[in-house]
Amino acid sequence: MKLAPLTAASLVAAGLTCAAAADAQDSKTISEWDIQTQPASAKIIQDALERFQKANPGFKAERAQIPNDAYKTKLKIAFGANEPPCVFTNWGGGSLREYVKAGQVVDLTPYLAKDAGFKERFIPTAFGATTIQGKTYGLPGENTAAAVIYYNTELFAKNGLTPPKTWPELLTVVEAFKAKGIAPFALANKAKWPGSMYFMYLVDRIGGPEVFQKAATRAPGGSFADPVFIEAGRKLQELVKAGAFAQGFNGLDYDVGASRRLMYSDKAAMQLMGSWESSSMKNENPGFVKKVDFFPFPAVPGGKGQAGDVVGSVGNNFYSVSSACKAPEAAYEMIKTMVDDASVQARLVDNRMVPVKGLQVTDPTMQRVMKLVSDAPTVQNWYDQELPPQLAELHKDTVQSLLGLSITPEEAAQKMEALAAQILR
Amino acid sequence: MNTHATVAAVPLARRRHRSARQLAPAIFLAPAVALLAMFLVYPLLQSFRLSLLEWNGLGENSVFVGLANWVSLAKDGLFWHALGNNLLLGLFSVLIQLPIAMALALLLDKAGRGSRTLKILYFLPLLFSSVALGVIFKNIYDPNFGPINAALNALGLPALAKDWLGDRSYALAAVTAVICWQNVPFYMILFLAGLASFPPDLREAATLDGASDATIFWKIKLPHLQGTVRTAAMLAVIGSLRYFDLIYVMTGGGPEGASELMATYMYRTVFSSFQLGYGSTVASAMFLVVTLIAAVGMRLTKRFETEV
Repeated sequence: MKLAPLTAASLVAAGLTCAAAADAQDSKTISEWDIQTQPASAKIIQDALERFQKANPGFKAERAQIPNDAYKTKLKIAFGANEPPCVFTNWGGGSLREYVKAGQVVDLTPYLAKDAGFKERFIPTAFGATTIQGKTYGLPGENTAAAVIYYNTELFAKNGLTPPKTWPELLTVVEAFKAKGIAPFALANKAKWPGSMYFMYLVDRIGGPEVFQKAATRAPGGSFADPVFIEAGRKLQELVKAGAFAQGFNGLDYDVGASRRLMYSDKAAMQLMGSWESSSMKNENPGFVKKVDFFPFPAVPGGKGQAGDVVGSVGNNFYSVSSACKAPEAAYEMIKTMVDDASVQARLVDNRMVPVKGLQVTDPTMQRVMKLVSDAPTVQNWYDQELPPQLAELHKDTVQSLLGLSITPEEAAQKMEALAAQILR
Repeated sequence: MNTHATVAAVPLARRRHRSARQLAPAIFLAPAVALLAMFLVYPLLQSFRLSLLEWNGLGENSVFVGLANWVSLAKDGLFWHALGNNLLLGLFSVLIQLPIAMALALLLDKAGRGSRTLKILYFLPLLFSSVALGVIFKNIYDPNFGPINAALNALGLPALAKDWLGDRSYALAAVTAVICWQNVPFYMILFLAGLASFPPDLREAATLDGASDATIFWKIKLPHLQGTVRTAAMLAVIGSLRYFDLIYVMTGGGPEGASELMATYMYRTVFSSFQLGYGSTVASAMFLVVTLIAAVGMRLTKRFETEV
């Protein structure tokens, strides 16, 4: 057993790290986890944490930044082991609901009630995604995001095309680019959520926002097998068959920028993506930003949804406090600092809009995003955030299969409805 | 008197000695047993216990559901598909990795001391982190920017320029190729070590008797290495059944589950769908499958051993 002493040593080492981790949860250290990995976005949080430390002497902020998809796993493990960070970023909706149901998130309603002026700063819909059964569990922190179609203005001009307003017009544009050997859409769907955006918009444009709401809340007549979902699947496959997506779309990785570099290199003309993409493009390729613009998802003729409806999120990401936190009051102060005026202004420079009232947006592109969202009759939260995790996963799986043309829209709808009937009560 | 006392003292000392001799192995084994119990037996039993629950892994809200998870697993097409993929990976690992590793080992062995640089070069892939390798190969396979398709198009073979990771038909094969490339050096080193213990006089005797290089390999070296080959094959199969990293990084089990393995499926059920109970069922089933196949494999190869 030559190994034993070595293993024993690593055991001791592991024990020490555990002890260190436990120390981090003492009442004077406030740990904070977020997913802001772009340097400019990360600095905003670091600056806010320093302001918090200055205003609250004795308290120490301990930040960890984690890439998006890895973060979801890390957070789950931390909560499962009952050692979550004090302050954590989240997307509201279904996954936050799991943590709330387990009693692991601090109800911020009483804090906000005492702090009415602070709450009034935000636009009312900003608390929608983090409000569960009338109680609020998170503050809107990062951005107002709407999924829009980014397009390369130069490529459009060169080919004599204008942004399409309706579905048939979109198909014409797709055909035109296809004929020129340019991929109409860049899509990096390995993680499956980027493809889901097309489906969500089609459902809204065809059947209006109520169809999903009714299906997700199990309201009378609500079903994921509703003809609207089937029609949306059909339209999505129509797009695939027309060759609308760049080669390899179901295997490309959004997290490494696989779809953006298709845009940067003029190999693809459009991309449906959340408006955070403006900030990513500005950070990665400032030169390209000059020739990119966006248009809202086109209307489907005869559809019930209004062309102004938006799929997106107001306030995304959100910041919440875990119940395991030994100093919830200080943690609340911390998330307040993270969305204070200085942070809001800094985010504005970084092309992101915290949903506060009277935000002075000067950038014309962002003004249009803000107007799009504030004028929208409804803002549909991302399905994969809104639904319970298991159903969200199936939603993403079925949409990826629809895009891969390996299941029919009817099969996809049946699968969703079967699981929904089983787990949504 | 004196002699009497000595006689009486001997059995006592011997008795003491004997009990000490029994205690010593126990003391020496204790750390190993304790570690095994802590890191193997306990988690294993825990995971079986969790497989009987319906639980999202958070808080005190688990529900005991008996064998319901196991029944769902038996009917779960995705799991069986993943198991099938694991078996395919195991088959191709053995069929591709071992012959290449053997060929490299033979050549390096023949080249002798002069091959040190090559040995280090060949060994490199094994030293890379799987995650870094995965990211590199994701870019190499990229259908729009990757060098593979660029080369195929430049050679006038656009028909061969496939969507390597995004097409259901190629994803598993594409990742398997990288897995093989990464693991060949491991078996190469194993075989090299085996060849190093090959007695040179045996070879000399065979050469004197007029045996060709091929005969020496097939009739003398390979039988000499059969224990090593058997170990290598077992390691390759068991490794494939538990495989996770490159698949997770390069395809995440996709597209549409085309490259899903038992381990990536387990990961997805636990961490994406929040089904800790069902995920544990998948994990436990994985343990049973690996144990069963390892046991059968050992038996079969043992029979092979006696036949030689």
